[in-house]
Amino acid sequence: MPAILKSVNLTKRFPGVIANEDVNFELEQGEVHCLFGENGAGKSTLSSCLFGFYHPEEGHIEFDGKPVRFRSPRDAIHMGIGMVHQHFVLVADFTVLANIIVGTHEQGWRLGLPEARARIEKLCAEYGIELELDAYVRDLAVGQQQWVEILKALYLEARVLILDEPTAVLTPAESERLFRIVDHMCKLGLSIILISHKIAEVMQADRVTVLRKGKVVDTVRPADVTPQELTRMMVGRDVELRVARDTAETRATDTVSVLIVEGLSYRDGLGKTALDDINLTIGEGEILGLAGVSGNGQKELFEALSGVLIPQVGRITLTGEEIKGLPSRHYMDRGVGLVPDDRFREGLIPEFNIRENMILGWQRHDDYTNGIFLDHKHIGTVADGLIDEFQIVAPSGATPVNHLSGGNAQKVILAREFVHSNKLLLANQPTRGLDLGVIEYVYKQIIAKRDEGYAVLLASEELEDLLNLSDRIAVISSGRITGIVDPDTTTIEEIGLLMAGSTDGVAA
Amino acid sequence: MSSAATQPRTRLTIERRLNRNAGWTFTMYLSATLIGLALSALLLWTSGADVAKAFSALLKGAFGSQKAWIGTLSKATPLILTGLATVVAFRAQVWSIGQEGQVYAGAMGAYLGCLVFAGLPVALYLSLIILSGIIGGALLGTIAAVLKDRFDVNEIISTVMMNYLIVFLLSYLIGGGPWTEISSTVVYQQTGPVPDASQLPQLLGSKKLHLGFLFAMASAVVCYVLLEKTPLGYEIRALGYNPVALAYRGTNIGRTIIMVMAISGAIAGLAGVSEIFGTSHRLRSDTLYGLGYTGIIIGMIGGLRPLGTVVAGIIFGGLASGALYMKLLAKVPSALVPAMEGILMLTFLCAGVAAHYRLVRVGDGDV
Repeated sequence: MPAILKSVNLTKRFPGVIANEDVNFELEQGEVHCLFGENGAGKSTLSSCLFGFYHPEEGHIEFDGKPVRFRSPRDAIHMGIGMVHQHFVLVADFTVLANIIVGTHEQGWRLGLPEARARIEKLCAEYGIELELDAYVRDLAVGQQQWVEILKALYLEARVLILDEPTAVLTPAESERLFRIVDHMCKLGLSIILISHKIAEVMQADRVTVLRKGKVVDTVRPADVTPQELTRMMVGRDVELRVARDTAETRATDTVSVLIVEGLSYRDGLGKTALDDINLTIGEGEILGLAGVSGNGQKELFEALSGVLIPQVGRITLTGEEIKGLPSRHYMDRGVGLVPDDRFREGLIPEFNIRENMILGWQRHDDYTNGIFLDHKHIGTVADGLIDEFQIVAPSGATPVNHLSGGNAQKVILAREFVHSNKLLLANQPTRGLDLGVIEYVYKQIIAKRDEGYAVLLASEELEDLLNLSDRIAVISSGRITGIVDPDTTTIEEIGLLMAGSTDGVAA
Repeated sequence: MSSAATQPRTRLTIERRLNRNAGWTFTMYLSATLIGLALSALLLWTSGADVAKAFSALLKGAFGSQKAWIGTLSKATPLILTGLATVVAFRAQVWSIGQEGQVYAGAMGAYLGCLVFAGLPVALYLSLIILSGIIGGALLGTIAAVLKDRFDVNEIISTVMMNYLIVFLLSYLIGGGPWTEISSTVVYQQTGPVPDASQLPQLLGSKKLHLGFLFAMASAVVCYVLLEKTPLGYEIRALGYNPVALAYRGTNIGRTIIMVMAISGAIAGLAGVSEIFGTSHRLRSDTLYGLGYTGIIIGMIGGLRPLGTVVAGIIFGGLASGALYMKLLAKVPSALVPAMEGILMLTFLCAGVAAHYRLVRVGDGDV
């Protein structure tokens, strides 16, 4: 098969880092080619170069055997390359049809809706995509919105489709459907680049190019390698993916409840019900996993349990004390630690240095003040001790956290929340976007806290991880807890059904 | 689409610096000064003035003698204060444009104090006058902050509107209202002279430089200590960088905004007190006009840092003070001075941005 899209010795630098170095990548006509690598390995940079978003400093790109130079994504789209980003670019108040044709303006002054509709309907039929063209995008589920994005690319006659972590927002069943259609597309002649860090998806591709630290490690056929070998290629060493959970006899069964949530409901400023009658308890020394497709109320639940937002209805009881309605300060004072999912926005002051971030929220605490002044000396001692303890890699405690990698920044949050809390740890997506080595570290730290007797609420998009770590798993969908399952007896399929909102699958 | 050239070429690109470099920053500001002066020279030249003569007069009038220095520092005093007021607000990314109105409010508060507390022992009398001025400025600032906190009113709008309100209120009070000076038949837009006991003591035996200058210096030190050494300063800076994380970790954002605006207003109010009771010795509108707006420029040029603001305030004080000399000696139209200030402001602001970037030579990615 001839290569349709190709990068030759491509190098792309950013200030201080080489994002892609001497990358040779070939996409053959009609294949699904997976770009596999850790965060920061250069997957997104490479695809952005192929899509004309970045310009390589060295090397070049070939399309259909001819060298090309994209000045902007416009050129790439014109050549027949389409890209579906992780964050969709859709107009919520437009219909699906309008979203697909917006910006294409092929028809001059006339919109040409009937012709467009006919073409899109034909595309849907050809590829087996089911979408209501007159529905408003705001009414669509996230999974369906992704189809709108894909249709946008197909409508522009894409021959190459770049999908950037397309399953991050999908339930297991939706992912399966996506892969079925992707296969079908390839049979019809499309070529697809799939960016992923999930090993199960990678194994379904025709070929895999593994990137590590901006360089191509190898391009292989999944049939020729084992998942373990692929993971080793990605990380560069062996990784213990499974963190041992407790044995049954030490598992919490009838321990004291640290957190009791009863009938918690929250309606946001726009009148949308974000939390709907949530009931949960977490015991001492217990990890309660929270599974769900992102955007189903997880964020609001964590904000409610840390006092950042105050739900209109329901009760939150922390070790016997009703605390709903109190500001977040009181939750912190009572020993609640929070690891928010958007770490640089919600957990850190990026321009502040590590030392200053270590006391965020505790800047008025007696330990860190001396009269009316901050005790910078003591803060420095404490922070530098934590930097050692949590193995944070940084030139010094005076390094601004926006100079740190995601993993080290996350460790700053963990260190701060661990030393300042003692009862309840709320961890929302604590491993998102981190390297495997750091993920392992984060989980070990959370388990250590569990063993100290903390109650832990842990949300993750990685179901495997939840199954390994949790004592029980609660599943959230549209702001409701659709079921609480036992990780030892449940299946991915059961959790998948609950994630999709079905309450039928709940075991009694 | 592609060219056959494979020769490696290099080209210059601009990159953001990860760390600031003191030498580069200095170079940028020096260039800004030179470019600003060159453009000003061009402006002077087109207006038909003798450029060399004008510049030497400006320099002499600003920094050429002890008397010139005293004039410069006296002009710099209110600008440093309103600049510091800007620093406190803008570091928190609270975009207050209310320094102008707070200067007026400070002056009016102090004048009210001067009427109410008349007859008290001098030291107490002066202290209470100054305190009333500070409270006046702080109150006006707080109103905008409370509106923002309670009703989400944009602080830019509310502070600008309050600037108008307070200026018109003063116009009423001194233009026919209860504070108006009436001398026989003519009504002036001013109050009568304030009592000698209420005037700020002069420094160095001059008739221009007064206690207000020491207040400005002290305020700069207080601002620095506040921002860098106290929990409140930590919160103010954190609020400017990332209010979301600050709120997530238990700090009451609304209360912090109110503190910021009260402190900023208090410092601006002090500028009003200093102008009225140190320089003009009667409450009138024209001597206060523009101090607050210029303070925004001073604070920005000072890089929103207290020390930088003091330096910027003295430079602009020098420009204002030297301008009179230049007008007299080199026959330069006085309107050119604000124009030169504007030019320097633009070049300094450009330098502030350029200090964050650097030029690098890279290989060309063209095929």
